[in-house]
Amino acid sequence: MNTLAIRANRRKLLILLALVLLCAIGYMLLDVNFSNPKLLAYAMKIRTPKLIVMLITAFAIGGASIVFQSIINNTIVTPCLLGMNSLYTLIHTAVVFFLGSASVVAINANLSFAVDVVLMGIVATVIYSWIFKKTKHNVLYVLLVGTVLTSFFGSIQTTLTRVMDPNEYDSLLNTLVASFNNINSEIILFSLVLLIGIVVVLRKELALLDVLTLGKHQAINLGVDYDRCIRRLLLGVTLCIAVATAMVGPISFLGLIIANLSRQFFKTFRHSQLVVGSALFGMIVLVGGQLIVEHIYTYSVPISVFITVGGGLYFLYLLLTRKKV
Amino acid sequence: MMKIQELTKQYDGKTVVDGVTFTIPKGKVISLIGPNGAGKSTVMGMISRLIAHDSGLVHFEGKDIGKWKSKELSKRLAILTQSNNIQMKLTVRELVTFGRFPYSGNRITSEDESIINQAIAYMELEEFQDRFIDELSGGQRQRALIAMVIAQDTEYVLLDEPTNNLDIYHATNMMKTVRRLCDELGKTVILVLHEINYAAFYSDYICAFKDGKIAKFGTVEEVITKENLSEIYQVDFEILTIAGKPLSIYY
Ligand SMILES: Nc1ncnc2c1ncn2[C@@H]1O[C@H](COP(=O)(O)OP(=O)(O)OP(=O)(O)O)[C@@H](O)[C@H]1O
Ligand SMILES: [Mg+2]
Repeated sequence: MNTLAIRANRRKLLILLALVLLCAIGYMLLDVNFSNPKLLAYAMKIRTPKLIVMLITAFAIGGASIVFQSIINNTIVTPCLLGMNSLYTLIHTAVVFFLGSASVVAINANLSFAVDVVLMGIVATVIYSWIFKKTKHNVLYVLLVGTVLTSFFGSIQTTLTRVMDPNEYDSLLNTLVASFNNINSEIILFSLVLLIGIVVVLRKELALLDVLTLGKHQAINLGVDYDRCIRRLLLGVTLCIAVATAMVGPISFLGLIIANLSRQFFKTFRHSQLVVGSALFGMIVLVGGQLIVEHIYTYSVPISVFITVGGGLYFLYLLLTRKKV
Repeated sequence: MMKIQELTKQYDGKTVVDGVTFTIPKGKVISLIGPNGAGKSTVMGMISRLIAHDSGLVHFEGKDIGKWKSKELSKRLAILTQSNNIQMKLTVRELVTFGRFPYSGNRITSEDESIINQAIAYMELEEFQDRFIDELSGGQRQRALIAMVIAQDTEYVLLDEPTNNLDIYHATNMMKTVRRLCDELGKTVILVLHEINYAAFYSDYICAFKDGKIAKFGTVEEVITKENLSEIYQVDFEILTIAGKPLSIYY
C-alpha cells in the first residue's frame, strides 16, 4: 500500500517531467525558420536565456512556496502573498535610489543583484520571523499583516521611483523591475550558483521538512533543533524569492497555484516529491503559458496577467473549500 | 533519574508553575493529577524541553536538560502532548514511522519496521494502519499518536492525558500497556490523568498539583486519601479499598 503510493507518485513525477520537456521543446522550436541559419541562430539566442530564466524561476518559486507553507504549517499562504517579492523590489529600488542610478553597483547587474540578495536575506528574515512570533503563527493575522506589508512596500517603492525622476517615471519603473517581456538574463549564472548553494547548505534542514510539518512540539520531541532549523529555511526561502523576482519581476500567485497543485496531485507529506512536483508544475505553467502568449496572443497579453487572474480565482476557491482555517 | 528543583513558569506576569520540586524515580509509573489549569501540562512541557522554564533546574540523567543535544534526548525521552493537530495527509503507519526518526532519519531499517509493527499491535491499530489520520475518530487518532511515542522506544515516556477520547475498553488497555512498558521493558512512565482511579490502580507514585504547586507527592496510598482529595478538588470523596488499592468515589 505504502510502497504502491510511492511508486504511483514516481510515475506522476515522470509524467510531469515529460510535459516540461514537451513545453520546452515546443517553446524553442515552434515557428522557427530552419531554412535560414541566421534566423535560426537569432531565434535560439533570444529564446535560450528566456527558457533558462523561466526554468530557474519555476524552481525557485515552487520550492520556496512549499518550504514556506510547511514552515508556517498552512497551505493557503505563500511568501509572495505576504509581500516578499514587493520587499525585494523595494530593496532593489532603494539601493539604486541611494547609490544613484549611475553608480557602479546600479550599472553592473551582478553586483547590484549581490547587494540586493544580502540586504534581502537580512531584512526579510528579520521582518518575517518577527511577524510569525508576534502573530503566534495565526494564519489569518499573518495573511492580514502580509497584505498590508505588500501595499506598504509597493507604495514606498513607487514613491522612491517618482522622487528619482518624475518625468521618466514609467521607463524608470520598467528598468528597475523585471517582467516577462523584460527578463533579467544577465544574472543567470549567479542565480544558478546561488540556488545550488542554498540547496547544498540547507540539505540537512530540507531533510527535516517532513518532521517539521508534524508541528513544533512533535518536531522538538523527535530531536529537531526547531528554531535554528526554521530560521535557516526561512533565509533560504527569502533568497529564492529574491532570485525569482530579480529575473522576472513579481508574480504573486504563481507560488500559490503550483504549490497547491503539487499537494493535490501527489497527496503526500513527503517533501522530496512535493518540492520537485511544485517546481515541475511551475515550469509547465511558465513555459507552456509563455508558449501560448507568444504564439496565440502574439504578446498582446503578458503571462503574468493570466497567472494573476487564474491564481486569484484559485486562491478564492482554496479559501472557500477549506474546512477550517 | 530526573530531578526537578524549584521549577517556575510565568505567563504574562501570572505564575502558573510555582517552585515545583520533586524527583522522578527511574523504572516507575508516576501520575500527575489535579484540577484544570493546575499547571500539569506546563510542568510536562518544561521537563521535556518543549517549553522554556523561567527559573529552576531540570536535571536529567546526569545533565541539565538544556545541555542535552536535542537529537540525543529524543532517543531517551518521548512526550505526547495534550493537543495535537497535524495538517498533513498522513496514514497511521506513516505517523508511527516518525517515531523512528531520531534513530534512522528518513531511512527506515527492517529493525525499525518490526518495532513499528509492535507499536501498532500494542495499540490494536492493525486494521487502521493504512487509513489517513484526519479520517479517524478522535480516540483512534489518540491511539495512533500513542503508538508513535511507543515506537520512539525511549527510557522515559511522558503522556499528557493519554486516555483522553478513549472508551473504557481502550482506556483500560492503555493503562495496562503503560504497566507493561514499565514492568516488562523497564521504562519510566510519567502520565497526566484526570481519572483518579486509573492513577490509583496503575501507578506507583502520584503527584497532585494545585495552583501551580505540588499539593501532595508520594505513593498511591499516601496521596489517595479522603482528606487529600477533598482538599485538592473541593469535592466530597469516599475511599473504598478494592484489590488492595484505594478506589475513590466522588459525587
Ligand atoms: N501558552 C500559554 N499562554 C498563557 N497562559 C498559559 C499558556 N499555557 C498555559 N497557560 C496557563 O497556565 C496555567 C496552567 O496551564 P496547564 O496547561 O499547565 O494546566 P493543566 O494542569 O494541564 O490543565 P488541564 O487539566 O486543563 O490540562 C493555566 O492557567 C493556563 O491558562
Ligand atoms: Mg493539561
